[in-house]
Amino acid sequence: MKFAYYPGCSARSTCAELNVATHRVAHKLGLELLQLESATCTGARELRAIDPAGFYTLNVRILALAEREGLPLMTICNTCTLNVLDAHAAFVSDAELAQTVNARLAEENLHYSGRTKISHFLWVLHEQIGAKRLRALVTNPLTGLTVAAFYGCHITRPPGRYGFVDSRNNAAIEKLAEILGCRPIDYSGRTECCGFHTAGHDERVAIKLAGQHILAAKAGGAKTMVTPCPLCHTVLDSFQHEIEEDLGQKLDMPVLHLPQLVGLALGLTPEELNIDRHMIPATAIDDYTAAPNQGLA
Amino acid sequence: MALASTPLSPASRLGQIEHADTLALRNSRLAPGDPITVRVARSDGVAKQARFQQFSVPYQKWMRVLDALNWIAEHEATDLAYRWFCGSKMCGSCAVRMNGREVLACWEAVEPDMTIEPLRNLPLVRDLVVDRSPYEKKIASFEPWLERDAVYRGFPEPLSHREMKNASKALDCISCMCCYSACPVVRLGDLTDFAGPAPLVQLGQTALDPRNDQNKVARMLAQSGIFNCVSCYKCEEVCPAAIPIVTHVIEPLKAKAAALVPGMARHAHALRAIVAMRGRVDPGALVLRVQGLGAFKNLPRILRLLVRGKIAPLKTLLMRKTAATAAARRILNRVRP
Amino acid sequence: MQRLKADVAIIGGGAAGCYAALSLRKQGIKPLIICKGLVGKSGASLFAGNLVISGKLLGNTDEQARDTAEFLIKYHNQFLIDQRWARRCGEWIERVYYPELEEAGLYFRRDDKGNVVTSPGKIRSVAANVQGNSGVPFMDLRRKQIIHAGIPRLEETIATALLRNADGEIGGVFCLNLMTGEHIIVEARAVVLATGYSDRLHARSTGTREMSADGIAMAWRAGATLVNMEMQWWHTNDIAHPPSWQRMQVYPNPMLGSEKSARMVNSNGEEFFNQQRDDPLAFGPYTVQLKALAKQVHAGKARYDGGYYAGFDHCDPAEVERYTTYGKTYRQLGLDFPKTLVETAVTSHYRQGGIDVDTATMRSSVPGLYVAGGVGGHSNGLIGLATYDGKVVADGIVQDFSRLKPSPPNSIEAQAEGRRLENLRNASGGGSAPAAVKDKLRKLMWDKVGVEKDAAGMNAALDEILQIRSELPEMRIANKTRIANYEWLDAIDVINMIDACELIVHSSLERKESRGPFFRKDFPETDNTQWLAANILKKSGNGFKFEARPYELPFFEPGFTKKNNLEVAW
Repeated sequence: MKFAYYPGCSARSTCAELNVATHRVAHKLGLELLQLESATCTGARELRAIDPAGFYTLNVRILALAEREGLPLMTICNTCTLNVLDAHAAFVSDAELAQTVNARLAEENLHYSGRTKISHFLWVLHEQIGAKRLRALVTNPLTGLTVAAFYGCHITRPPGRYGFVDSRNNAAIEKLAEILGCRPIDYSGRTECCGFHTAGHDERVAIKLAGQHILAAKAGGAKTMVTPCPLCHTVLDSFQHEIEEDLGQKLDMPVLHLPQLVGLALGLTPEELNIDRHMIPATAIDDYTAAPNQGLA
Repeated sequence: MALASTPLSPASRLGQIEHADTLALRNSRLAPGDPITVRVARSDGVAKQARFQQFSVPYQKWMRVLDALNWIAEHEATDLAYRWFCGSKMCGSCAVRMNGREVLACWEAVEPDMTIEPLRNLPLVRDLVVDRSPYEKKIASFEPWLERDAVYRGFPEPLSHREMKNASKALDCISCMCCYSACPVVRLGDLTDFAGPAPLVQLGQTALDPRNDQNKVARMLAQSGIFNCVSCYKCEEVCPAAIPIVTHVIEPLKAKAAALVPGMARHAHALRAIVAMRGRVDPGALVLRVQGLGAFKNLPRILRLLVRGKIAPLKTLLMRKTAATAAARRILNRVRP
Repeated sequence: MQRLKADVAIIGGGAAGCYAALSLRKQGIKPLIICKGLVGKSGASLFAGNLVISGKLLGNTDEQARDTAEFLIKYHNQFLIDQRWARRCGEWIERVYYPELEEAGLYFRRDDKGNVVTSPGKIRSVAANVQGNSGVPFMDLRRKQIIHAGIPRLEETIATALLRNADGEIGGVFCLNLMTGEHIIVEARAVVLATGYSDRLHARSTGTREMSADGIAMAWRAGATLVNMEMQWWHTNDIAHPPSWQRMQVYPNPMLGSEKSARMVNSNGEEFFNQQRDDPLAFGPYTVQLKALAKQVHAGKARYDGGYYAGFDHCDPAEVERYTTYGKTYRQLGLDFPKTLVETAVTSHYRQGGIDVDTATMRSSVPGLYVAGGVGGHSNGLIGLATYDGKVVADGIVQDFSRLKPSPPNSIEAQAEGRRLENLRNASGGGSAPAAVKDKLRKLMWDKVGVEKDAAGMNAALDEILQIRSELPEMRIANKTRIANYEWLDAIDVINMIDACELIVHSSLERKESRGPFFRKDFPETDNTQWLAANILKKSGNGFKFEARPYELPFFEPGFTKKNNLEVAW
């Protein structure tokens, strides 16, 4: 299975471990990833607000790059996913917009026809790989590892896009966790917001919001959190020290990127998955990792 | 140009069927007479903790949460305090939380098992009745009326729906306050000056109206705290009028603010500039641009991030061109907002 | 206990009340609005779906202008209307109403090219933002205008009694703040009752929760003359389930930007009403629909409480959704739209009758007491008419102002009212909860004073009303709190309701004919020789009496003397 792969900005900078983990896990899963080297940032939240024209052009360009390769697009960040989905939806419903954007893209001999399928890695696991195959590939079931899924907003809301009336009914990560052998716990922060998108100019909101979620995960008995979004990861992990200061208590909650959780179950080591690159040490999950040479293909 | 919209991955909807989370299922899985368990928060507004009173309510065809409350008030708890006027999704007065989610009681189908509580982020009066005045005060502070910057020339005036598209969506607002209750930033209270989704929708009704005086719009946006919206879409999720609050109100208002009150949007402008220059966002560059020297205030933190490799100052400063750089420069420098 | 003073106390925060307040303010007079609900969110004004254009607005032809006037006189009011008032109203709507609303910012829906969206037809209309939802932005605008003008408003505050001053004229209002339980006396030089068209007196009613005919009951107690209390509309197309959706209408009017309207089928699936075909003026068809339904009921193919269906299955979904809100109801029920039709039922709708007024000044028969909007017995059914009343009452009060002396309300009356309310709050009888009494009354009205009435049924209704009256002192309130006590409110309401219901039954007995939506099984003919007249109800001694006052017919005439009502087009 081959995908055009769009890692986004975070996975190429502050969460570089995510990109590494994704490549390693993809290899294990038999997924061939063609990284779209010239793909730009999708614009986070800011660009779509202050420069819609630029936003649509950059995002449709990413879709066009994938279309040129004749490949479906795989993403590993929630906000990237939402952005390209939104751009696609706008493109296919507004002929005038589509024309304007394609005129810009024509300058580098690109063109979009609206045919790119967009899937977050989480969905690729369920749809393209599937439970049966995934189960067969699990060599190190994470039995006993209690996991708090932190979905993040942009792959669960708004409802029209995803079809849920209530985003809390989303169960993709819980189902995945069960396949990997670990035990997902229910807690109040599951589909809540980490506050990343205002952290750039005011971290306090993210610190307060994420603090509540991590506390709830702890109270629910989670040994680790897992998230499909590097932006959520940035708040939950990279800000955890600041969150501890704000709360006045230690949290010591490791936060895994989704591919890292999968990788562990597939027999990869924390080092291979760059889990040691996180701010919060993941010592709590050492008991659940495979022996060093078990993982290498 | 008839293009097929690529369907969203079915995996994005895992869990929907098990939770009967479609409108078709929610309206057809119970039969008239089936017992529904309803727990309602009772409180006199003085006590800190609500107590829950439980009832068994017989399902009626297409029953709404409001019907369940009416049944309870009729048969079991005549003193249950809850607000409603029209029962038909026009007055917006009957919003409550059902199983933790904000709903309009007259619009929402019942669940076989329900916990009903008052809205959040607003003072409690009694049982399910909340005090609307903080919300009303906020709206009033936005001077929510049109101020024309040109003389009105008679009916009908020149105006197209294209120009009114976003304002038109905001005009569907019935002030139910569901979004205000759901917003996590509002929940943080005075931590930020975020006005909250509902007041911003109310502001948007005139602020996104092209007939409005832009000086006034600027003044109102300057006090809106609009860049504190975290873009979580909880407001869109709960809005019974299905207003795309983030997409069609908050983001267009952010766009206006960025143009009319650029000082509010430094972060947004910085991000755009970085993408335009580098093709990708370097978080280090972004922080430097926004915070300037202030970025160096917390040295222990910088060291921690450095040690783990979370930041790469040299990369930030040297600004290596990537394959994406040329494309971004071309597109964003041409397409100036 | 709070004491407030204003020049004019306006009871009611809908289209009429708000416009009266704004007009008074503009003319330098200080109003105060007392609203049982929330200004702009209560009552019927919110539910304006279409906004009819009158005269030659927006390219209306002479014929369309005439059709609109004819429609108002015949189909809305069955000739029981001051035609000259209607003409003045129509002229004002054409000249002032629409431009004024738009100047204030109301968005009359355009298409992408900038044309105001209407639909072809004999009578044309527009929408504020979205059809089916025009009342929402309309009343929201009024609310904001009230705030902008700094007009004080008491919300979730019920006016419980009109108070007289030393001159015996109406000089104030006794009120209860429902949220705090505080008593409030408002002293005013004039009081305007603007409590609206709708009431919630039948088991199925479009009146919203707070509409318990308070305005009519208070006016009657103050000695005001009432008129045509028996005349009311019925909605034919309201959803049958769930109960809270009694007011949810499958709107029959032509869809903007389309040549189609909703259609109705009977229990055999046979179409029996489609406005485009069955309604001569193809607009505002409530009575035409009711008559079509009556025929189905008589044939056993429908009932007044269900057994017939309505929808848009003959339309393209995009056509329905483009400018209207009509698909939302179906989708919310998880139904396949527009293929699915929903079961609908009749619902008691606007009361055409009410307080008798001098239409030039809006004075009631009681000095100091004025009226605006639907609670008056002079018009029905359009938000434009209610707004016009707001203007006229303001002008009327300005005219009278020097004569309306400030004078504190009678303290004995006020104290008595305060005690009455406190006794109700402490009601600890061995009987039913007030809400149960309300339901009993509403069921009685539905059963015996419903769509088809006769003398036997109505006399039985009077007996039952007497019986229910005897239960009132035995009512029991479970919780005596002052805070948001809806049981207390129900007790106050039910007393107003029973008074109004009794007056309605008496008036219905008096009008010995059928006319438009008023069906008497024992008098099936429309009788223009005897009953093209106002059915006036006046207090007399310890009781009351009726008088008939014929209507003049300067512009439109029915064109027949007597005819079976079901065969009359209107």
